[in-house]
This record gives sequence, structure tokens and C-alpha cells, in this order.
Amino acid sequence: MSVRSFRPVVSVATVAVAALGCYLVSLRVAAERAGLEEVENRIVLAQRDIRTLQTEIGTRGRLEQLERWNVKVLALSAPKADQFVDGGYQLARLARPSDEIDMTAPVVLAAAPKPAPARPISDDDADVAANSSVQSQPAPASPQHAAPRNGSAASMMHVASYSPSNSPTAAAAAAAPKISPKPAGQPAATTKPVKIATAARQAPLPSAKHDAKASGQPVKSGTTRDKANH
Amino acid sequence: MNAPTPALVARPERLRLVGQRRQILAVLHQRLMFGLIVYGVIIALIVCRLLWLAAFGDHAGRRGMVSALIPPRGDIVDRDGQPLASSIDVWSIALQPTKVIGDKLELARNLAKLMPEKDEASYFAMIRSGKPFFYLRRRASPQLVEAINALGEPGMALERTPDRLYPQTSLAAHVLGFTDIDGHGAAGVERAFDKRLSDPATRGEPLTLSISSKVQQALEHELNTAMTEFSAIGAAGVVMDIHTGEVLAMTSLPTLNPNVAGQGSPEARFNRATLGVYELGSTFKPFTVGMAMDLGIVKSMGQMYNCPKEFHYGKVIVHDTHPYGRACSVAEIMMESSNIGTAQIALQVGAARQREFLTKMGFMAPVAIELRERGRTLTPGNDWGEIATMTVGYGHGIAVTPLHLATGYATLFNGGVYHPATILKVDKIHPVGPAHRVFTEETSYKSRALLRLVVMKGTGKNADAPGYRIGGKTGTAEKIVGGHYTSASVVTTFAGVFPMEEPRYVIIAMLDDPKPTPKTYGFHTAGWNVAPLVGRAVSRIAPMLGVRPDMHRDANMSEVLPFVHEKEK
Repeated sequence: MSVRSFRPVVSVATVAVAALGCYLVSLRVAAERAGLEEVENRIVLAQRDIRTLQTEIGTRGRLEQLERWNVKVLALSAPKADQFVDGGYQLARLARPSDEIDMTAPVVLAAAPKPAPARPISDDDADVAANSSVQSQPAPASPQHAAPRNGSAASMMHVASYSPSNSPTAAAAAAAPKISPKPAGQPAATTKPVKIATAARQAPLPSAKHDAKASGQPVKSGTTRDKANH
Repeated sequence: MNAPTPALVARPERLRLVGQRRQILAVLHQRLMFGLIVYGVIIALIVCRLLWLAAFGDHAGRRGMVSALIPPRGDIVDRDGQPLASSIDVWSIALQPTKVIGDKLELARNLAKLMPEKDEASYFAMIRSGKPFFYLRRRASPQLVEAINALGEPGMALERTPDRLYPQTSLAAHVLGFTDIDGHGAAGVERAFDKRLSDPATRGEPLTLSISSKVQQALEHELNTAMTEFSAIGAAGVVMDIHTGEVLAMTSLPTLNPNVAGQGSPEARFNRATLGVYELGSTFKPFTVGMAMDLGIVKSMGQMYNCPKEFHYGKVIVHDTHPYGRACSVAEIMMESSNIGTAQIALQVGAARQREFLTKMGFMAPVAIELRERGRTLTPGNDWGEIATMTVGYGHGIAVTPLHLATGYATLFNGGVYHPATILKVDKIHPVGPAHRVFTEETSYKSRALLRLVVMKGTGKNADAPGYRIGGKTGTAEKIVGGHYTSASVVTTFAGVFPMEEPRYVIIAMLDDPKPTPKTYGFHTAGWNVAPLVGRAVSRIAPMLGVRPDMHRDANMSEVLPFVHEKEK
């Protein structure tokens, strides 16, 4: 009974709450929309500011002004035809160090026979080095025999960056006394030496590569050197 | 309960009264009801409106919806998107004498202190004049506006007005033009595209020109340097893409600053590149030879013509600057720019065919470009006899604009097809203009070597920029002073095309009345003043345009070199 008599009140309250809810939702939507508009407005204002600033930068850095500075101070001129390079190789050529003859450079062969596994590669080099008349000065005897293998990574690093390094020479020298008793005719198997001892310092050093292979070092540095030397 | 009982019987008059009251009551009820409904409807309407506003309405602080920034006048940008003209808001300072309430003398004194372009007395006179409005300063600096505002005088009006700004100042001034005080275009692109730039529907998008500001700057700088060096009274230059007709750079010197166009002299406002017509001299010779090749008159570059020291034809005597005094080949005629040889070729071509060719190349009409400043060309007209044919053959007796010449060279070297010049960037929206064939492809191909020869061995040697394979033709035309041609005053022109083995761009440079200098050994011919300028300009411009210098490539010179008689040394 009491429930029935309260029904209108309840229904009115329900409707009121629903209406209020709807109103709140719409209020919320309106607020969101206003916020969005505010953002859009700010974007437009920012765009205007950007435009103004760009105009200012453009005006201050106008080409005529740059040209005037160039004429007065910088004096830069258009590049000449020979200042353009065809590509990476030509660019790399420009960085080539001067062609100095390094008398102490190792003698390497274009076609060296595959070394016996028991024999270190440096011995082959040493053969030629010992036989080559260009290697005039007697190489200093080095106490450690396996110098290239112990410090091979370091030596390869040196070679790749073209800095003078005497470790291969030292290796050759170290090997030299050992091989010297052998008959001179023996290295005839290693045919024409293409790179003689007068090779430029930046010439590829296959011996180092061989070292890398023989000593099981990563060949990576060798390949980069190849690229650089082509 | 209160209802009348049957026992209580009223008297007839009372009954009648009751009946009347009922009627009145009914009417009253009716009216009341009506009023109620009306009010109800009104309240319902208001409530509905309120609900509607609550649900979908705007809030109180809402400002006008600005979804995108639309400038008051469209921007103009170059082909790379660099702004060349834009609209900005500037402060303008105005005086409203009728609203001045403070001490007038004091105000005049302050104004004279802040804006010294007028003195105290004239400011005072303005304040006392009683006129409603004076503009004191447009584009005032913020400091000045602040100072004026600090005066606290209601008679001073400060407002932000849109104004046109050209950030690159005088760069491409003649192409861009300028606007008048109402913001409407008064010259150049501003005038030609005024509707497009001011229409709210289209002004949001910037107008993209074919101009490249870097190329424009390089050309302007080199021209200006040469103009100063040779004390010329004016100069003009055009760089054009020969395949599309796009004008990459166009300049006319002396130039003006479009930001303050009013300060420029009429001389500076004159666009020599499109409005000025000049006899461009020997630069016409490639056209004459091209015509002759097209018509089968010149079959080989080795075809010989008699080139005496003087050539008499009727009353006319033709001279050469580098006389041969012997028979010379077509290649030699072009190389040393022989008027005598060209005159003979032109005679063979004949007036009618020459005219037809020139018409097809657009030389008989104002130059085809969107700008409004277009000069009418001067031609022999009805007087196109044999003499006129001869002189037109080497570029005299016909006056065209430098842009005409650029279009003509583009036609001859792009494979023989005429395209109208355009100042708008060629893209999907703006395709290449209608084209028609003028020369055959073979003529176009053969002309390359001929022009390259001029630069390698002939009069245009100074234009050679090593590696850029420039081909071109010099032209020195005497000016008419007091009704007579005089050698004291000349217009020198160089029309160049590069790279010559695969032509892509044409460059025209013209100096008006250059003077000889010690450096040019007293010469004032084109080979000594414009040619080096073109060489310098091309070595700057070509890398920007993607032309790689290459010492190992060149036009097919075997077409012409066998026909050049080398001097024995």
C-alpha cells in the first residue's frame, strides 16, 4: 500500500534523475567539445606564430643577405668541375696517403703456394724477403718467433689503418734465419712476385690476410681492408 | 453536495441567471484554457530550446571557429616551397585629430620626437586640421607602437592591418610584382593572379611559382656584378627549362624592393625581361641557320658561303666584326658570328618562310607568359623585303624581349617543339602549355654542335664553364640613338644552353649599354662582358639544377669540327 502510494514519487524521482543524467552527459560533451575547440584554436594560433617566425627567419636569412656575407667575409665560390667526384671510390682515392717507398715493407707474392699447415705463412714471405735483393738491410733478429700470431689482431688493425707497422717485417725477419740455410732455388715454386718490396705502404698486404686465416682470427678486418684498397 | 437539489426550485429569472452564469463560466473556462495552452506552448518552446541548447548548444565563452589559417591574401612560394610573398599583420599608426583631447602642442612635440620624418609644426598642423583621419606610419615597429600607446592619447589609433611582405626583398621583384595600398596586385604575379590570391576559396593554398630562388639569386648576383663592372644602365636575365617552358629565374636590373615599391624609380619598375624589347643581334643567327637546315637549304655544316670583307646588297653594306675575306663554312659563320654569311643564308630562306618560322616561335606576338607586363615586339611588318630578311637573319630590324629569345632557344634545342613560357611550376595541377613543332628533331640535334663550337672556339669562349658543356651565341646589337645606329652604345646578349649534349636549360643574359673596361681591352662586345658572366652563372646554377659537370662528355663535335679552318700557328 505504502509502496503504491509512493509510486508517483518514485517515478518522478526516476525521471528527474534520468533527465539530470542526460543533462550531465550533454554538459560533459559540451565541455569536451569546448576543450577541443580551445586546442584547435591554439593550434591555429601556433600556426600563425610559426608563420610569423618563419617569415622573420626567412627575412633575416634572405639569400641576398647571405650573398652579401659571402662576398664580404666568406668568399666561397661555386665548385669547379674537378671538385666533383664520381662516387665513393673516387672519394676514397682523394684520401690516399702519399706514395712513399717504404724500404722495410714486406715482399709479397701474387701467387703464393698454399702453405703447408705445419709451416707458418710468414715463412713463405720470409723466403721471398730473404731472396729479394731489395731487402737490403739485415732485419733485426726478433726473439719471439710467433710474433705475428700473438699480436696478429693488433697487427691487422695497424695494416687496415695504413699506419706503418713493422710487425710483419719483424715476423719475416724472425723467420729469415730459420729459412736461410735452404737452397735458393726452392722458392722458385712461388712464381712471379708482383708486389715487390718497394710496394707502397698502403698496398694490400695479403700476408696479413693469410695470417688471419692461419691463426683463425676473424677475417672481418681483412675484408674491410680489401674494400678500402680497391 | 453543493449541487442544486430538485427540491430547491428556483424562480424563472434566477434560472435564467444561472443559465447565463453557466454560459459566461463556460466562455471564461474556454478563454482560460486557451490562455493556458498558449502559455504552455510558450513555456514548452522555451524549455525545448533550453534543452536543445543544453544538449547541442554553444557555451558562453566560445569564440569564432577557426579551423585553418587562411591568410588575408594567398602566399606565393617558389618551386621548392620557399616563401616569396606572404601576408603578415602589421601595426599601423593613425591620427584622428577630431578625437584628440590632450594638449595638442605637447602631442605634436611627442610625435615629432617619436617619428622624426615630419617636424613638430606639420604634426601640429595635422592635429589642428580637423580632418578625421591621417595615416602616420604603416608597418610600425613594436617599440614605436608601445611608445605611442604610452602617450595615452585617444586621438592616436593603433591597429593591426594585414600587409604584404616579401621576405627575400628584391629577389625576383619583377616576377612577383607588388601590391597597391588596398592589397591588390599592381604588377607581376600579384597582378596576374590577383583573383586567385584574393579569393577566399583559393587563397589558402600558396601559389607555387616555377622560380627557384637559389637560381634566381645566383643569376641576379652575377648580372648585378657584371652590370656594375661594365657600368651598364640595365640588365636582364632568364633561365628556363627548355622541355617545359618553366621560367626558373627571371630578373631585370636595376631592381626594386617590392616591400617599398613606391620608392622605386620608374626605371627600376620596368621589367626588361618581358616588357622591354631589344634588337638582340647575332643571337638570332642560330634561328636563321636552323630555318635553313629545316628547309634543306643548309645540308651540311661544311656548306660554303662567300664571305668577303664587305657584302654589298642593293644599297646595303654588311660588315663583319671578324671578317674572313674568303669562302667560309656554315660552322665558321656561326663560330665567328659572320653577318655576311648569315645574311646570305637568310636570303635563301626568304622573307615569307622566315616570317612563318618567327610566327611559329611566337616572335611576332607579345611573349606568351602569365604576367601582364608583356612588350609588343617590333618587326619589319609590311616592309619585310629582302633587306629586312637579311637584317632579321642576324637579329637587327626586329626587337623582341629577352624572354622571347629564351623561348626561341628552348624551341630550337628541345627537339624543335615550341612551348609557351610559364611562371607557374609545371605539375599535375598545371601541365605544360600547348605545344607545336617548329623545327625538326634533326635540326635541333645538329644545332647543338654548332652552338657548342661558338663557345669552344668562337666568340663565346669566355662563357665556357669547364665541364658544364655550355653552348651559346653572343650577340652585340647597336642601339639606336637619335634615330641612328651607333656603335658607341650597344646591347650585348648571350644566349646559352647547357648541357649541350642533352640540352636541359637555357640561360639568357643581356646588358644594356655596357662600357669597355681595361680588362676587356677596350671591347664592349658580348664576348667580353656577358659571356664571362654567363660562364660564372652557369657554374653556380648548373649544380643546383642537377647538372653534373663532366669533362668527358660533350656534344657530337665531329659534326662541325672538320669544317673549321684552323689557323696555322
